[in-house]
Amino acid sequence: MCWSISNTWPAGNDRDWTMDPITFSIIRHRLFRVIEEAVITLKHVSGSAVTNEGHDLMVSLYQADGSLLMGGVGFLHHLTSAAEACKAIIRKFAGQIADGDMFLLNDPYTAALHTSDIYVVAPIHHGGRLVAWSACFVHVTDIGAMNPGGFAPEAQDIFTEGFSSPGIKLIDRGELRQDLWDTILNMVRSPEMVALDLRSMIACNNVARERMLALINKYGTDVVDDACRTLISQSEARLRERLRELPDGRWQSRQYLEVKGEIYKVLLTMTKQADTLAFDFTGSSPQSKYSVNCSKWASLGGLFAPLFPLLCYDIVWNEGAIRPITMIAPDGSIVNCTRPAPVSVATVGAIQSVNNAACSTIGKMLAASEKYADEATAVWHANHFAIFMFGNNQRGRLAIGILTETFAGAGGARTFGDGLDIGGEIPNPISRMANVETIEAQFPIRYLFRRRLIDSGGAGKFRGGAGGELAIVAHDAPDGGIHYVLSGKGPRFPQSDGLCGGYPGAVNDYVWVHAPHQAHNTDRFAQGLREIPGDDEPISWGVFPLMGDDALYVRWNGGGGIGDPLDRAPEKVKADLAAGVISRQAAGEIYGVLETAGSVDEKATAAKRKQLRRARLAAGSPQ
Amino acid sequence: MKKRISESLVVEHGTICCASCAHALGPAGASWKKAAALSTVPVKDLPGTGSNVEPRVVLRRFACPNCGHLLDTETALPEDPFLEDVVSV
Repeated sequence: MCWSISNTWPAGNDRDWTMDPITFSIIRHRLFRVIEEAVITLKHVSGSAVTNEGHDLMVSLYQADGSLLMGGVGFLHHLTSAAEACKAIIRKFAGQIADGDMFLLNDPYTAALHTSDIYVVAPIHHGGRLVAWSACFVHVTDIGAMNPGGFAPEAQDIFTEGFSSPGIKLIDRGELRQDLWDTILNMVRSPEMVALDLRSMIACNNVARERMLALINKYGTDVVDDACRTLISQSEARLRERLRELPDGRWQSRQYLEVKGEIYKVLLTMTKQADTLAFDFTGSSPQSKYSVNCSKWASLGGLFAPLFPLLCYDIVWNEGAIRPITMIAPDGSIVNCTRPAPVSVATVGAIQSVNNAACSTIGKMLAASEKYADEATAVWHANHFAIFMFGNNQRGRLAIGILTETFAGAGGARTFGDGLDIGGEIPNPISRMANVETIEAQFPIRYLFRRRLIDSGGAGKFRGGAGGELAIVAHDAPDGGIHYVLSGKGPRFPQSDGLCGGYPGAVNDYVWVHAPHQAHNTDRFAQGLREIPGDDEPISWGVFPLMGDDALYVRWNGGGGIGDPLDRAPEKVKADLAAGVISRQAAGEIYGVLETAGSVDEKATAAKRKQLRRARLAAGSPQ
Repeated sequence: MKKRISESLVVEHGTICCASCAHALGPAGASWKKAAALSTVPVKDLPGTGSNVEPRVVLRRFACPNCGHLLDTETALPEDPFLEDVVSV
């Protein structure tokens, strides 16, 4: 799972090596460092928690033709989509791409995932020749969609999802186009924060460009070009070699989404044959009238997001690693929708379902291999919740931002160990959540609690990592509270699938607790949903108030488990009980572990497990 | 010679078998789930369930019909077919 670079000299490649391996390795590492420094720059300039804390960002380098040269960290869906953004700019601005230019693109039907994930791409010229591209994205604070923050559950088409560009020149030969800048900022809420978002990407690309030019000046264009071509052929050779080592076969996964009573499916059949891997989404639901759809570029990015870390953990993420992969996504389906279908919730909707399905099928394929079984994983944190709060904060200023707990995640179990509690997510190796205090300083709210969620990790011989739960109330709010946009497409179905007998992680949940009329009696220090006084209303989709003494309770899913829960070591079950990660009910009914006087009762446990296995047999065969 | 096809299944002499007890489940390269013991439980009844879970969605549990070892699971609506995973051996 770790993101690292192998020092192994390329294998399986028959080209003539003319460059000494040390120079090659230096250039390869330097390219990584270019991205790392660009990411640091982006974070230093950006002022939003979604970028700095959630790491909802991406920076990568691309070849002169726009193909991926060196994929960076952040949300990995964007590595291939930003390549399409570069290629779209190359087509659109043929003959008009100059040194010092930067372009903005956020149209989901051209390349972007949704309108609020803006790409800023910069050509890198050396000696008057286009030699590479730097590309980055952040989720901007607002994009002018009908709902604040960019996710627009109320949108009925792309036209109500905010400003959308298939490509504009934002910076012309080093000069910011002020008229365009003013126009963009005139279309969004919180323009000062959006300006900071855009400037963070400009600064990021400037640093990437400077460092790339320093690299080329040091080693020369030909040497760097040769190293880049070698990197790509090396990645292709190594991924094909890995695929040949894995068993041929066909694996399936199915994900359900639900919006306002309508149920959608993402069905994936993954076929591995020799050194190729094909992802076929035939059988997935037709596109939705709601904004959970995604475009084909988004689906492609969605399947690569788990593929890169699971199959290419020691292979450079570039064009070479893309070549062995093919995708079929039926036109007009939820994974390849047709304009003008709404897509603003795509990243937590169909794209994440594509992520999950690909993670599941790749996990199954790895689990079928003697050599790679330890790389297999159940599905990690499968359900973002994207709650964007908006309203006047305690300083009387409009604040818009996401609850970053959606990035906290939960690890899927591995074949050799439990998933990490609140352990992040597969598609973003650096995702994390902000401190409670960071959010409370930005919004007029107070957290009642935030902690691991009991029984959220999927049961198994190795259990999935626990998700979490939180509750917030309005606090010091000049308007009596705030509002929030909730794009919670999945409280009705588990999505973090288990593997090889493991159970799925628990579902998300969103509850609006309506305070009793006697507000002064409200318990302002409740430590659990049941302790918050008032009437519970499950919610999942739309815009809601958090006013007066009402509370919002949120819980997010755990990771999937691996293996039969009855094979879990009883002492591990006992430890989970003591840590409050599982309930006594789960210990007995799912794991078959019983205690006496605080210790595992081995005899009673053996009898209980035998009884549970017999019950499975009694169920009979479906034949 | 045994060949692993998942954490819980192996192929031996052209037959898919339970990795725990070697019980035969069908020919290699074909679906084995119909030979398993299938039990379903509504997701809403599992520990840790949410307040708004779809009442029809179930967890299908495929167990070895001989030893009761859990071989695979899948989340499904009743009308949806089994997921099919076929490993070429």
